[in-house]
Amino acid sequence: MKILVAVKRVIDYNVKIRVKPDHSDVDLSNVKMALNPFCEIAVEEAVRLKEAGVASEVVVASIGPQAVQEQLRTALALGADRAIHVDAPAALDALVIAKLLQAVVAAERPGLVLLGKQAIDSDNNQTGQMLAALMGVPQGTFASQLSVEGDALRVTREIDGGLETLELTLPAVITADLRLNEPRYAKLPDIMKAKKKPLDRWTPEELEVVVTAHQRLLKVEPPAERQGGIKVSSVSELVERLRNDAKVIS
Amino acid sequence: MNFTFNEDDIAFQDAAHRVCADVLKTHAARYDETREFCQESLRALGELGFWSMNLPSEYGGVDISSIGMSLAVEEIAYHCAATCSSLTAHFLATDSVLIGATEAQRQALLPLCASGEKLGAFALTEPGAGSNPAEMRTRAVRTADGWHLTGTKHYITNGAFADFLVVYAKTDPDQGHRGISAFLVDRHTPGISFSSPEKTLGLRGSHIYEIDFDCVLPDDALMGEEGAGFATAMEVLDRGRVEVAAMSVGIARAAYDASIAWSKERIIAGKPLGRHQGIQWMLAEMHAQLEAARLVTYKAADARDSGQRFSLESAVAKLVASEAAAKVTDAAVQVHGGYGYISDLPVERYYRDARITRIFEGTSEIQKIIIGRAITA
Repeated sequence: MKILVAVKRVIDYNVKIRVKPDHSDVDLSNVKMALNPFCEIAVEEAVRLKEAGVASEVVVASIGPQAVQEQLRTALALGADRAIHVDAPAALDALVIAKLLQAVVAAERPGLVLLGKQAIDSDNNQTGQMLAALMGVPQGTFASQLSVEGDALRVTREIDGGLETLELTLPAVITADLRLNEPRYAKLPDIMKAKKKPLDRWTPEELEVVVTAHQRLLKVEPPAERQGGIKVSSVSELVERLRNDAKVIS
Repeated sequence: MNFTFNEDDIAFQDAAHRVCADVLKTHAARYDETREFCQESLRALGELGFWSMNLPSEYGGVDISSIGMSLAVEEIAYHCAATCSSLTAHFLATDSVLIGATEAQRQALLPLCASGEKLGAFALTEPGAGSNPAEMRTRAVRTADGWHLTGTKHYITNGAFADFLVVYAKTDPDQGHRGISAFLVDRHTPGISFSSPEKTLGLRGSHIYEIDFDCVLPDDALMGEEGAGFATAMEVLDRGRVEVAAMSVGIARAAYDASIAWSKERIIAGKPLGRHQGIQWMLAEMHAQLEAARLVTYKAADARDSGQRFSLESAVAKLVASEAAAKVTDAAVQVHGGYGYISDLPVERYYRDARITRIFEGTSEIQKIIIGRAITA
């Protein structure tokens, strides 16, 4: 079985986010970028399925400008076999991304598509669901456990109030939650070997997908700056402060 | 001079950052406090291929540029200088093999060193021969049974934890430094005794030992050619000084970052510490010193890759970066005030860890001799 993993280039999770002075967007100049952590978990799961003999090939795809090849290379260093770069503008709508991925799926015909449950930049949590709908296949989102048994896929999902286990027929779309696995560290020799793995560049035109914007970013505002707290010396002072200063109790 | 970071350099820096921030950082304070050997961190780096950074691919290495290697070494030192010291000591041993050994010896040993299976130690210094290695007294005499090695080495990083030692010894005492040869010594050879680890000011997770030798080595323990040991050691130290410079930059950056964060967090007289001009001046000097140290380090790394002699560049980098690390870590303690003096924060550890960089692999004074001779020749 071939597995396709879709990955996104995002701001590194350690970076302190700055908003541009004109509030038009997040400031991305001179900011460290990285593989979206949930996408990394998806790559790790695919590589583990290959190591377990369930998958025969792991193909990783990313959509965006030339720079996304860095993240594709990271995925290759983690064990993916080859990469597809769909050369398109950054920050496309989830629906356009899903359509482009649908076209990649049509060309590649994977038995399973793995994605992160969401990207840590825009936090949309839409692409996997949209892709499954466009493909007309079952979806298992927020996966915390995954096993393939013959033609069936057993997936445990993290839902409000507990865990839900589903059995899906293949092909299917799975989105990875935080607890699905702990991704490995890239080994230095594998980083060098990743350079020799195939990386193909496709365009939206070749995939016959029209890139249109369905939504427009109007404004980005940073969260209100937190004021420092105070220390109180006793419970009675705490109660008094909560009552008179914070006015959260009466 | 033209150095840029290619995608490999960045990928290596990134890979180092990931494992260091997750693994090395969690052990660093404990190693310092308990003086436990940095085994766990060192092994973690070995499993990921970091022990191979100084080697070409024909011996299991990764063919990374010296600049990429410097970036990774800096990252390792930033999170745990002790682990960095043990790793760079391993590089001194494997550089010795790479430069001085026969092809058969390289093929037999280096792939195991690259993969993290065999840890090396570099045994040059003696109680009476530090800055003056030509005056070493360790002797190797050819006998019917093999080489009879006698003498004492000290300050040997990794010592008892190493699988093999590269021991420099006189095979012909009448020949001065030309009478020095190097030997590949299995750590378990009968007749080797290790002291307990020295009680050091810093880098407490990276053990150094005094080692006594009275042992017989097989004929093929001679590394490369007889009499070539001194030349090998000098070339190894040229390379090693670039790594000490990178390590110094890493420690200095850790102290600098801690100071910047502290200057924003600590409120004095109603405003953050960093808004007081007196502190700003200190931070500005730290920034400038760190930047200068980094640039001479990259320049030396670039020179190392050029294939030309780079003794001058590596001596300058080692001198400037280690002195900068001492100044920056001292200023970091000062910026933190009393908080910089107690071990609740890592700043006092950075201060202690930085101190050795002005001493090992040639003191600052030795670097000045190297530089002075080169510029007046």
